[in-house]
Amino acid sequence: MSASRDEIFATLSRLLEPFNPKGVALKPDTEIAAELNIDSVGVMDFIMEVEDTFDIDISLNVLSETHTMDDLVRVVEERLKRDTP
Amino acid sequence: MRATDNMDRGMATAALRATVRHEPGQARQWGGFSTLTEGLDFAARGRTGLNFHSPRGALDVVLPYCELRERALITAGKLAAAGLRPGDRVSIVAETGPDFMIAFFACQYAGMLPCPMPYPMHIGGKEAYIARIAGMMRAAHACAAIMPAELSAHVRQAAAMAGVSRVLTHEELAALPEKAGAIAPHGADGLAYIQYSSGSTSDPKGVLISQRAICANTTGALRHGLCANEEDRAFSWLPLYHDMGLVGFFLSPLMGQVSVDYLATPAFARRPVLWLKLMSDKRSTTCYAPSFGYDLAAKRVNGEARKLDLSAWRIAGIGGDMVRHEILHAFARALEPAGFDPKAFMPSYGMAEMTLAISFASLDAPMRLDTVDRARLKMARRAEPAGDAGSQAARTFVACGKVLPGHEMIVVDERGQRLGEREVGHIWVKGPSLMEGYFRNAEATAEIMRPGGFMDTGDMGYMLDGEIVITGRAKDLILYHGRNIWPQDIEWAAEQVAPLRSGDVAAFALDGAGGHEKVLVLAQCRLRTMEERDDLRRRIAAAVHQAAGIECEIVLVPPKSLPFTSSGKLSRARARAMYLSGEIAPVDAPVPETSAPLQMAASG
Repeated sequence: MSASRDEIFATLSRLLEPFNPKGVALKPDTEIAAELNIDSVGVMDFIMEVEDTFDIDISLNVLSETHTMDDLVRVVEERLKRDTP
Repeated sequence: MRATDNMDRGMATAALRATVRHEPGQARQWGGFSTLTEGLDFAARGRTGLNFHSPRGALDVVLPYCELRERALITAGKLAAAGLRPGDRVSIVAETGPDFMIAFFACQYAGMLPCPMPYPMHIGGKEAYIARIAGMMRAAHACAAIMPAELSAHVRQAAAMAGVSRVLTHEELAALPEKAGAIAPHGADGLAYIQYSSGSTSDPKGVLISQRAICANTTGALRHGLCANEEDRAFSWLPLYHDMGLVGFFLSPLMGQVSVDYLATPAFARRPVLWLKLMSDKRSTTCYAPSFGYDLAAKRVNGEARKLDLSAWRIAGIGGDMVRHEILHAFARALEPAGFDPKAFMPSYGMAEMTLAISFASLDAPMRLDTVDRARLKMARRAEPAGDAGSQAARTFVACGKVLPGHEMIVVDERGQRLGEREVGHIWVKGPSLMEGYFRNAEATAEIMRPGGFMDTGDMGYMLDGEIVITGRAKDLILYHGRNIWPQDIEWAAEQVAPLRSGDVAAFALDGAGGHEKVLVLAQCRLRTMEERDDLRRRIAAAVHQAAGIECEIVLVPPKSLPFTSSGKLSRARARAMYLSGEIAPVDAPVPETSAPLQMAASG
């Protein structure tokens, strides 16, 4: 059940593709919303994809502290752990 | 509390719909109350109320008006137990859920002033959020802050910055003992609440609304704008910290005992089509959204439209941004298979300073479009009808209806002289819905008040057979997806990016192709290489995104190219005009993102 951080990163990268038409290279320290210049609606769209794919919920207060790809990988990892005791 | 209520089975049979009505034999009353608590006391005698839906669309919580009243009365005693007294300002995070609404009405019963605050909506937006709500609490001289547990850390940090020592989660508040003698509702001459939707982050302005204003405005909306009836059932995904969400889809329905179904704003943003699915299930009759909401839903609905039944939707209100007729036509086309009636579109005009509503277009009539000559509009400030709506020389506006009864709306020139039909000028309003003023900010209030009791709306427009047509903002305010964004906030964020300095940045909106507004940020750039410039653009975009949660186009311009007034203030209107005319040109010419030409807005 537990996905490795690399796997989570790879999945997130795939989910981000439609929101990254300019093909900005994704690294752990890539600022998701800002560097890819996704608007707030696009971000919500992407987060929905992440939630559906991993079957987790990401709350707004957590989202407000999420900046980079690495932040998001950690959020997903934590949620997955929490939901699979 | 969980999903056991008979108000909501999401089915369209006549028998079930009867259950959302008021108590049999109990007459409905469309406003006309003298206080909010009087309105809730009356609504609590019936069986209508509020339904909250989960992000995936399941009915989550049901709060009948009778239960809202009971719990608000109990909570009033707990506010008093927390040491709060009548007249105190209570800042409450306005998430879409029962807790906010109960706390809001607890303040009403205890004679306190609730100040709804936003919740964080943007990825990575924590710091900007904390700064924003800290500013609101400071300006309100808040005596307490109340929030959901998950935002406890954010709000505590902001409260500390604002010097607010009483900070409680809803659970902590509920755990307090109930103090007797706390019930002291506002009287008809009293105050009601403070709305912080005006002003920049550094200088928020609290719109102080009286009981008289909220009662007048909701009564006007129910009776004259929406012509509410017993079959009505409202739907909303609008945030409750905005006037359109708070007044339009909480307080107004309550004053008319109308049931409301809610989907939280972030849930709508993640699944726009869920809005329409729920409206189809509930046979909802009334819903408002800014143009961008219709746009988003129309683009996502695809093949789903024929599975929906939107034939009960009689009022599809548009407010919160410039009404974009192209977007609405596209929505109507996309939702035609669902039985959506384009006559339901109801362009409206309003603002928090007038509680909410100022004018509504007439019911059951198609939108009135007015196509005018672009050049005469700009040069002569006259809206002359133009023949060909498709031509670049023409611009089409939407009429937003007549002012509410008992209110007055005029269009005046720079000297305050009334203008005639089709003459473009400043829109002034007055009437019982007018705010008391900006809370403890006489200077800001005086700035917008005009002779004869009028308030300058800050908007420009013209009259057409008694209907108002909005052409743009006189101020620099940017309307982005229904949100008011102060260019100062964007500029300030961008100026923090090295090597930019104060005065290096100008932000303004442009009308892009297809009726979409886009935000442009001009930044004076001293860097020489392409790489450095690309990097600077990226960093500015990142800073703006974090501060304001918006997407913008960054244009690097030469040093000393931005225009300033003689008093040293940045002139955004001139910067915008100079950019459009090519007088300010980018330092390099990057490949344009779209080939569509920018339309020049009329107010520029």
